[in-house]
Amino acid sequence: MPGHRTKGFCAAAAALVLSAVLAGCGGSGESAGGGKVVLRYTWWGNPDRAARTEQAVALFEKQHPNVRVQTSFSGYDAYKQKLAIQATGGDAPDVMQLDYRQIDQYASGHVLLDLGKVKGDLRTAEIDPGLLATGRVDGTQYAVPQGRGTETVVYDVKAWKASGVVLPRKGWTWSQWADAVRALVKKTGRPGATDPGQSEDAFEVWLRGQGKALYTNSGGLGFTADDLARWWTFTDRLRREGAVSPAEQTTQLDGSVENTPLGRGKATADFNWDAPSSGYLALVKGGVALAPMPSGEDGTPGQYFKPSMFLGIGAHTGHRKEAAALIDFLLNDRQAAKILGATRGIPVNETIREQTASQLKDFDKTVADFQSSLEGSLKDPPQAPPSGDNALQTTFQRDYDQVSYERMSPRRAAENYVTEAKAELRS
Amino acid sequence: MTTTDVPAPTARPPRPAPAAKRRPKREREGAAWVFLSPWVLGAIVLTLLPMAVSLYLSFTDYDLFNPPHWVGLRNYIQMFTQDPRYWRSVVTTLTYVVIAVPLQLALALVVALALKTMRRGKGFYRSAFYAPSLLGASMSVALVWRAVFNDGGTVDNLLGTGGWVNKPGWALVAVALLTVWQFGAPMVIFLAGLQQIPAELYEAAAVDGAGRWRQFLSITVPMLSPVLFFNLVLQTIQAFQAFTPAFAVSGGKGGPADSTLFYTLYLYDRGFVASHMGYASAMAWVLLLVIGAVTAVLFRTSRSWVFYASEGDR
Repeated sequence: MPGHRTKGFCAAAAALVLSAVLAGCGGSGESAGGGKVVLRYTWWGNPDRAARTEQAVALFEKQHPNVRVQTSFSGYDAYKQKLAIQATGGDAPDVMQLDYRQIDQYASGHVLLDLGKVKGDLRTAEIDPGLLATGRVDGTQYAVPQGRGTETVVYDVKAWKASGVVLPRKGWTWSQWADAVRALVKKTGRPGATDPGQSEDAFEVWLRGQGKALYTNSGGLGFTADDLARWWTFTDRLRREGAVSPAEQTTQLDGSVENTPLGRGKATADFNWDAPSSGYLALVKGGVALAPMPSGEDGTPGQYFKPSMFLGIGAHTGHRKEAAALIDFLLNDRQAAKILGATRGIPVNETIREQTASQLKDFDKTVADFQSSLEGSLKDPPQAPPSGDNALQTTFQRDYDQVSYERMSPRRAAENYVTEAKAELRS
Repeated sequence: MTTTDVPAPTARPPRPAPAAKRRPKREREGAAWVFLSPWVLGAIVLTLLPMAVSLYLSFTDYDLFNPPHWVGLRNYIQMFTQDPRYWRSVVTTLTYVVIAVPLQLALALVVALALKTMRRGKGFYRSAFYAPSLLGASMSVALVWRAVFNDGGTVDNLLGTGGWVNKPGWALVAVALLTVWQFGAPMVIFLAGLQQIPAELYEAAAVDGAGRWRQFLSITVPMLSPVLFFNLVLQTIQAFQAFTPAFAVSGGKGGPADSTLFYTLYLYDRGFVASHMGYASAMAWVLLLVIGAVTAVLFRTSRSWVFYASEGDR
């Protein structure tokens, strides 16, 4: 190559390199795809919820021809991890489904958009003010609840009835539940239920049945190592007796119904939230029914109505107007409500709830009936869990692994958990 | 290193270059930098800067959302004195390195020896054995591995042992097997090393009456020791950094009961799941130092067992 061309060549090469680098840095979430605005919308759930959500999203796209919605869903555990990484990398989706325990962390971490800025596009007037307030952090609305859920003992109706064991009923206690799972394993030959020891949610219900709480109002730990040791001793004994599922089963739990012992046909009952329990229908041939969670020995109910599955907007979205419109559509559009049914819980828009109540069918009706059977008998929900709870939920499950694999006594594992939890909540 | 000023002993007299056509040295260097720039930029932006930042973060409390604040040595102190899971992850990783690396190298050597003596189909078998190395690092194969070793999976059905990945004593074995299975890369290097050994040595030994085993110990092993050393160092470093197999096989949790909680997996858990990026950065730096130290020790011991053929000439 002749010398006089070198300079030009160098410049061109440098420009090429730079443009390649800059292209790599280009922001995501920018419009693409034939001049349409592209929104990313992510949620967790089961295939049933996915199918219905896709249908609703298609309708939204029809009504908003300039918007294309890119959807993505996974099981809760995987979703939680993926969202955490996206959020910390500044790459949060435009519209994201959030759990109660994520709101505080993501709001204070500036991941979520202040919804006050999109008030005009996102109507919340028809949502119960108390319920709406659960999406607020320090007075700012960061997320809107999509529904209301409560925990349930979900069971294989056919298997339980065939066993002749007394069916679960309202007001039953934890010791009656324990008797039932013991009787079930004798009659059916398979464990009566998933081992609830690994579930922070089940522990909370048990704890509330004794008038205590997971967290204090100031965000500290609301229980002692003694409480947790008693819970784990209780569940560990049932596991050793074979009345609840063994460690090899429990360790596979990942928030999806497919990997639960009930879903795999290896237990008669499970603990879950009411709406997502629709996922069992495809897996359990005998059909499933919902029963209330066991209460404390004096009849104190532990379960509560929890705002479930919030929707929030990414703080860095380039299309806040469209994102708000999508949320507005999912919450307030009558046709969308018809498609979605109770897949995320009973609708929060009160007009829509009244209109659709009579039209609910199949499992949506089961969930609605279950919730109305509990109406008025439950205690107030706790306030939103502190930031650290998001990680502690995993810690809880992991520490119980040490108990169920018999590597630690319930007491030692409980002391470990309390130490870890206190450190987590302090930081 | 520049060699232009030093005349080589047998050099021909320098050919006088036509001065007009010769470009100044600086300009030539400029062109070199332009061609290097993708790599240099990458090294600085993607490696050096992040390393420097992570060193700083390791002395801070950083939750990824709020600005980091300086805590001095607290992360390091907590790691060494107050975190039982940290030590569990260290023990798990060391166990894995000690099991997986020697097994993998032994298998690679055995297969390389078998391939060396093979007359026909060598190319085919070499590719076939190498394939897992290309596939094995992928997430999909790790997921298949999980399915194979899960309850109701192939291994359970064949051996009736239940799912390995759900038993604390066996999950690590399943992960180690996944690594051992990827013996292709060291195998190819061994094969190349074996072909370098002069055939005369074996002929001479055979004439002297040495059996195959004797030949292996007295010729193959010493002649191959530099290659063995190279593979050992490389695979050890890789084993310390193993992440994907444990992540996929344990569903990202390092379970059951922390039995596959590799160092890197715990680092990921601290950084991205629990949002303690400062702590995770401190862990990363300790890992770097430990790998450096282990490699240094390997180099030190190599003096007593690695034989370089060129030394024999002196």
